[in-house]
Amino acid sequence: MWQYIFRRFGYMLFTLFVISIISFVVIQLPPGDYVDTLVNQMASESSGVSAEVEEQMRALYGLDQPVYVQYFKWVRNIVTRGEFGYSFVYRTDAREIIMDRLPMSFALALGAFLIVQLTSIPIGIYSAIKQYSIADYGFTFLGFVGRAIPNFLLALVLLYLSFRYFGRAMVGLFSEEFVDAPWSIARVMDLMRHLWIPAIIIGLDRGAGQIRTMRANLLDELNKPYVDTARAKGLSERRLLWKYPVRHAANPIISTIGWALPEFISGEAIVSIVLNLPTGGPIFLAALFAQDMFVAAGFILMFSVLTVIGTFISDVLLVWLDPRVRLQ
Amino acid sequence: MTDPLVEIKDLRIHFFTDEGVVRAVEGIDLNIKPGKTLCVVGESGSGKSVMALSLLQIIHKPGQIVDGQILYHRGRVAGGQFSQNGAVDIASLNRKGRDIRSIRGAEIAMIFQEPMTSLSPMYTVGNQVMETIRLHEKGISKKEARERAIDILRRVRIPKPERLIDEYPFRLSGGMRQRVMIAMALSCTPSLLIADEPTTALDVTTQAQILDLMLELQQEFNMAIMFITHDLGVVAEIADDVAVMYLGNVVEYSDVDTIFNAPEHPYTQALLRSIPKISATRQPLDMIEGMVPSPFRRPGGCPFHPRCTQALASCSTVVPSLTTLHENHIVRCLLHEETGEEVPRG
Repeated sequence: MWQYIFRRFGYMLFTLFVISIISFVVIQLPPGDYVDTLVNQMASESSGVSAEVEEQMRALYGLDQPVYVQYFKWVRNIVTRGEFGYSFVYRTDAREIIMDRLPMSFALALGAFLIVQLTSIPIGIYSAIKQYSIADYGFTFLGFVGRAIPNFLLALVLLYLSFRYFGRAMVGLFSEEFVDAPWSIARVMDLMRHLWIPAIIIGLDRGAGQIRTMRANLLDELNKPYVDTARAKGLSERRLLWKYPVRHAANPIISTIGWALPEFISGEAIVSIVLNLPTGGPIFLAALFAQDMFVAAGFILMFSVLTVIGTFISDVLLVWLDPRVRLQ
Repeated sequence: MTDPLVEIKDLRIHFFTDEGVVRAVEGIDLNIKPGKTLCVVGESGSGKSVMALSLLQIIHKPGQIVDGQILYHRGRVAGGQFSQNGAVDIASLNRKGRDIRSIRGAEIAMIFQEPMTSLSPMYTVGNQVMETIRLHEKGISKKEARERAIDILRRVRIPKPERLIDEYPFRLSGGMRQRVMIAMALSCTPSLLIADEPTTALDVTTQAQILDLMLELQQEFNMAIMFITHDLGVVAEIADDVAVMYLGNVVEYSDVDTIFNAPEHPYTQALLRSIPKISATRQPLDMIEGMVPSPFRRPGGCPFHPRCTQALASCSTVVPSLTTLHENHIVRCLLHEETGEEVPRG
């Protein structure tokens, strides 16, 4: 078992390495660089820039060097000093921009994750054991609606409704008095009060999907012979349900649980733009448009790190839960 | 005649499906004697498995006991050392209730056809065997339960039970898994063991070992066995009594010698003729003509009449009742109704 976990950990490090290369290269792919953006900007402001100045600016930002040199410096700074480079747009450390916003993205994703797991799995189980009941049809209907509605649309609808009926649009993650306040218990509580709505919006699609998956898996398991065996022993329905079929049916969900975090983090951007949330998504998008490469690459890398860690957690959970994985 | 351990009276089990009602068991009367082996034989779809499941009230939906009784006489053991009076009607118990759960596993235990899928791969052998023990014997410590489990695994001839108890079922062979199933079923010394084709999924050598083991343990534990099978060879080897089923009815019931040597029902006779024989001349296999009818179109009258070579005109309209030919030989066929006396319906 430890060998397995160790090996997975090795894969994880290797994957991270590959991802860091890809994220850096992807940022370089669009034609031009930040200096071009700057030059265009200046040109439109009617102060032309000479080719000489342009080259000097490239040298200043280190953009004149070959890509692999840039990559190597970038990685070295991240690993040794935790520095993500320089934000051309904000004229400050890219780390500050990323670290300011990333925790919010993470909090939102985590909130969505918890809400989804705590609701969709019990609902899926209930739907399966009460198959074709009114409640099952109700959840099935909600499930399809949840999967079919894009989350930005849901965000717009909620925005409209909250403004129409409460006189206040549900935007942001903090009440006005807390927006720029330093962290405190009260601020965290305020965040919690605001967080759940975007968390539900972001989690709805996956939650609805998981209800369907759990229901279908459990329906498959409920008539398996080992359930008969357990019942023939004299176990109560509740005990045997949780110990046997639910445990079996949960496998596919557990093995993809790690994908939920990145899914929420990437799904967050558009919802955050609609609801004006101070998370990483909108900044990341803006950085891509402006070719603010170190901010963009930093976000891609951090999102990827979360994905890979999520997958690693899935793998460990699966080994812990399923002896067939552990012993082969 | 000894008092029966279980009396099944006019049991009817129907499956209410969207396509119609399947009458899987349509009026079975059957006794299970304490300490004896009753073999239930019949083709696929004759209702034998459903009947077995009904003894524990674990029929799958949409199946349902619609009529009849399953009287379980608690404490009737061969020899009758202790006898509590009063019978429990299993058919009337709530299938999720406490009463039936206290019988399942403790007094009536069951082993299933597929040892590969009847144990959960998620838990160790010990976990699954100890579960039954700890469920029915309140106050037993984990350590005692483990010792009991090791002991019972040893009694089903599992080598090195101390080590195997911590093994997962998917690492065992089919025969070993079926031994674990037997150990699990016997762990609370039930008075009746129901075995639903326990050897069908095993190879022939393992099959013989498992059968021998079951008979030995039957002596040791002094329990009744109801053995469901379609293998007449197995029947000849282990049965005391035999019940032959066709489309939800017991058509003939007797001791094993009578069934093999002097069967009276045309279906039983046909079944025995269809056993392949080793002979010098090549003979075509004597099959029973036709197919088992669709469960949705159960023939009227005697359900066997469309395939019966001795059918009378009245067979398609009159439902034959049970006729006792001799003591311990009951047949459900119009050919015998005049000669024998009718069994009073209870």
